[in-house]
Amino acid sequence: MKAFKASLWAASAIFVLAAPRFLDRGTLNDLWNLAFAVILASAWNLLGGFAGQVSLGYSVFLGIGAYTTVLLSLRGVDPFLTLPLGAILAAAFSFVIGLPAFRLRGPYFTIATIGVAEAVRVCASSVSFTGGSSGLRMPAGSFDFNLNYFSMVVLAILVVALAAYIKRSAFGRALAAIKQDIDAAEALGVNSTRFKLAAHALSAAVVALAGSLYAINFQYIAPGSVFDFRLSLSIVLMPILGGVGTVIGPVLGAIIFSTLQIKLLSIPALRDSFLFIYGGLLILVMLYEPHGLVGVGRRLAALAASAFGTNRRIPDAG
Amino acid sequence: MQQLVSVTLSALLAAGLYATMAYGLAVIYGVMRIINLAHAGFMMLGAYVTFTLFSRFSLDPFIGLVVVGPLFFFFGVVLYRAVGKSMARSGATPSIESLLLLFGVWLVLQNLAYVIWTGDTQSILTSYTMKSIEIFGVHVGVPSVFVFLASAASLIFLNVLLKRTYLGKAIRAVTQNRDAALLSGVDADRISATAFGLGTAFAGIAGGMLSTLMAFTPDFGRSFLLKAFCIIVLGGMESVTGVALGALVLAVLENVLGAYTPVPTSLQDAVSFALLFVALVAFPQGLPALFARFERKAIR
Repeated sequence: MKAFKASLWAASAIFVLAAPRFLDRGTLNDLWNLAFAVILASAWNLLGGFAGQVSLGYSVFLGIGAYTTVLLSLRGVDPFLTLPLGAILAAAFSFVIGLPAFRLRGPYFTIATIGVAEAVRVCASSVSFTGGSSGLRMPAGSFDFNLNYFSMVVLAILVVALAAYIKRSAFGRALAAIKQDIDAAEALGVNSTRFKLAAHALSAAVVALAGSLYAINFQYIAPGSVFDFRLSLSIVLMPILGGVGTVIGPVLGAIIFSTLQIKLLSIPALRDSFLFIYGGLLILVMLYEPHGLVGVGRRLAALAASAFGTNRRIPDAG
Repeated sequence: MQQLVSVTLSALLAAGLYATMAYGLAVIYGVMRIINLAHAGFMMLGAYVTFTLFSRFSLDPFIGLVVVGPLFFFFGVVLYRAVGKSMARSGATPSIESLLLLFGVWLVLQNLAYVIWTGDTQSILTSYTMKSIEIFGVHVGVPSVFVFLASAASLIFLNVLLKRTYLGKAIRAVTQNRDAALLSGVDADRISATAFGLGTAFAGIAGGMLSTLMAFTPDFGRSFLLKAFCIIVLGGMESVTGVALGALVLAVLENVLGAYTPVPTSLQDAVSFALLFVALVAFPQGLPALFARFERKAIR
């Protein structure tokens, strides 16, 4: 089972990496979007899923990455060299938010992150160096889609691998302890603030990298696109849909989400109902299966196991 | 002097509206310990229903509030019966699941508004929208005076309801201690439904009042939701006086910053978001608790 899963992961990684050789640009664009979604969902899951700290403010980090790249490129820096700086800035800002906000628990933390995200969006639309609400354009220059595609896909693979590694590490177990019972974790000597800050910074840096690549690909950014509340929302929705706190959950959620998005945009009658679908999915998941698709899969597996009378251990989808 | 009067007056007028806006959130939090993200959706819907009553049936928006209140109360109770039942808890902190569930409700409401009223910006223009009256030598828009009066009326109604009726007593009891209320024979589930209806009604009324002051789209309501959060955090989450105090603090701060500092109006919303953050972190127990602490120190 384990070998099968590993080879499935490897096969899909090889497939997306080799895709530019045999797929057309349209499909590659869809795959680019999928990789982008996987990165955002998996990165959010590091803090929101593993440690249970639900943040609705992740568009802030995406925006920091995107704006760093565009602003520096406009001053003549090679766009790809700006990636690490964006990631560092995002991680630094995650401390600025996290140091005070992690004193809050559960929903209070969530509300504080909405407040921060809105404040950042309002500021970005009204100060001048960001180009205000009309946004900024990347300097004209050669743009290599294949290079961007590879960077995005490699980043996605690395993030999923990182999530799988963290899940099994001592760091991941500390985060799981914080999620389960923060007081008990503290009593056992887990410095919860330090672990939460670390997870926050790591995921912020990853999201900023994706934001930089986003800016390079679309060549244009504005507060309405990269700081949009809807973006923060979809970042949260994907892991919840797939199954928070697992490695495969955010990937599944991202696949469903980006497929939905492509389908919705191509069917005119459905184009105006994406909030119905997102909201409806959120309600359904919360009412019936808070563990998302992974939870559904576990239930089915348990059902199958009891129906066939086998005593095999229920495969754990993590 | 003129400016001081003008700032005080506009802060006071805004505070009335803010209190109505925030109270719906506070009563639901108090009774059910849930953070109602759908509040923004209810406010938006309240604005649109008032708009429809005005444009289709030429009902004055302020008379329309009398229709909006009961309508939204009913809507809230139905919604509670449909999805809310699993949400009410006796624990001290609200669950993240209920927050996300109501977030989903908000999204569905937004889409509903897009389908019914399209995404175009709407506004209500009555014969008195542009008129103003003079109070203490300062010109004040007639709609904002009406909004203040309507807010005052609904807050007085609420206070009477909470202080003088059995229902109000039961709501206060469940707010204080759900388990103890259950033990003394209060039907906590019914009280929760009523509180959810009441909160929804207040959101609808606040939305209806906002629609007379500004233009709106289905996306409308998010910044007001954050302001309402800011107010109930300042007010200590569950007391009516706390809410009124929080509303006043936010309104005064916004107006003073707007009048006496070079903070541009486009950044005014950021003020309340920043205040929300500071308030949550610095005094999560709210201003009343903060004052109590100072008093204790002063006595000592």
